[in-house]
Amino acid sequence: VERIEKRRSVEALILASSEPVPGARLAELVPGASPAEIRALVDELNAEYAEQGRSFQIGSVAGGYQIRTLPEFADLVQRLQPGRPLRLSRAALETLAIVAYRQPVTRAEVEHVRGVDVGAVLKSLLERRLVRIAGHREVAGRPLLYGTSRRFLEVFGLEKLDDLPALREVEELAQEGVLGAPPDEGAADAEAPAPGAPAPEDEFDEAFEGAEPDEAFEGAEPGAKLH
Amino acid sequence: MSALPVVGLLLGGPRSPILGVSFLRPPDVPKKAHSGMTTTASQPNPGSAGVPGGAAAPYAVKLPAFEGPLDLLLHLIRLNEVEITDIPIARICEQYLEYLELLRELNLDVAGEYLLMAATLAWIKSRMLLPPDGSEDEDEGLDPRAELVARLLEYQRFKEASEELAARPWLGRDVFAARGPEPQPAPEGEREIEVGLFELVEALRRALRSAPTEGRAHEIETEPITVRERMIEVMRLLETRESVAFEEALADERRARSRALVVATFLAVLELTRLAALRIFQSVGEDCVPRGPIRLVRMGIADGDWKARIADVM
Repeated sequence: VERIEKRRSVEALILASSEPVPGARLAELVPGASPAEIRALVDELNAEYAEQGRSFQIGSVAGGYQIRTLPEFADLVQRLQPGRPLRLSRAALETLAIVAYRQPVTRAEVEHVRGVDVGAVLKSLLERRLVRIAGHREVAGRPLLYGTSRRFLEVFGLEKLDDLPALREVEELAQEGVLGAPPDEGAADAEAPAPGAPAPEDEFDEAFEGAEPDEAFEGAEPGAKLH
Repeated sequence: MSALPVVGLLLGGPRSPILGVSFLRPPDVPKKAHSGMTTTASQPNPGSAGVPGGAAAPYAVKLPAFEGPLDLLLHLIRLNEVEITDIPIARICEQYLEYLELLRELNLDVAGEYLLMAATLAWIKSRMLLPPDGSEDEDEGLDPRAELVARLLEYQRFKEASEELAARPWLGRDVFAARGPEPQPAPEGEREIEVGLFELVEALRRALRSAPTEGRAHEIETEPITVRERMIEVMRLLETRESVAFEEALADERRARSRALVVATFLAVLELTRLAALRIFQSVGEDCVPRGPIRLVRMGIADGDWKARIADVM
């Protein structure tokens, strides 16, 4: 009975928080619960939700717990939201990926990988608070260093940076060539015409997926703050 | 600019007559003058699309947006079904230049980075043509394509990583969080600062610079300053106002500014932030670097509630 009460307390706290609640904070607030126990209580809650077919789960994100609707309700819940759902252009996503894996990183380093100017894209990622300034590199000109924010973890459902999937090895990519690489584009490639023949239209539509104007990343909510 | 629309279908042969012209918007809306292709592209004039071949019939010009020269090269490699490690440089270079040429004929600006890549390709091509025994060169023995291949592979890695990010369930797109009281939006031109330990220590150092250092070795504080007391004082300031300057919170009418006062106030502000009783704002410049005065903004907590919270932790 006592355990059930603790479980309900944990649920209430996570539900009512405006941002992910760290396990340690929950342990502070729920009488007689250790941080390890909190983890177990959350797991029990999630098992309960799954068993009852509830529409949400407790996610471990940005170092805390947060109740989130299941992806299958995306379209439905989007209609409730004011603004448009969060969108990021391909340019923004590529830049974000480089910052995420290479942080702290300078603008010049990001530009070297992408082969294009990234000033505007970085600025808009900063404005969206997905990227933050992580200091200066102590070399001539003291260029700014960029890193990802807590909000980045929250948006992409990561508990910590180490949870980013490992980058593929260059050797592996080289072996397989570019051809089979990404699953969606790979499918288009399988039917790619021989050089000289007109390409099917959807090949080009493919190139457009996610290619939204940068301005369109709406749905941004205020999130991370000083911690 | 990072995105450049490139005429794609025409690769299949400039003579393929296809109806209609459709320009697609590049993913990044370019604002700088040197990438004025948006204005050109948004008002297409089929007649001006002078395609080699010179036929009067309108051509379908569908412009996939490439994320830069590396992206375009990967696309060409894929189209040609060649190994990335063994690029037929002459063929790829020719097709690459064809794209750029078409863009120019369409009066679209070609961003400098595309031209730079064209020069690189031409250089590699010329190196490939040199007899392998030109041994004066210190690069001898190295495949002239090696560096380009390394860059393409590196770019491909991050392209895939970005696709993985895109496929995750995003908060605000795929999943939505149950949220308690919404934090107040940041005032115009300011944003919340997200800082690490070093920024905080730096801020403390700056604040201390304005406080006189105690010269005497055995100063006895008759009335010790506590963090709790400073927390109450800061919240008292915020009782009647939405926000106060950090500087203002450091002042105390009953005492001179001392290091102890600055330190205690600083810790009080941090503690209040942790308790979500207030939020800290700072102006950001054009470059998004926080600068300017730091302001403390009260959170919408019911009166007296913060007192209970302070009592809880102290």
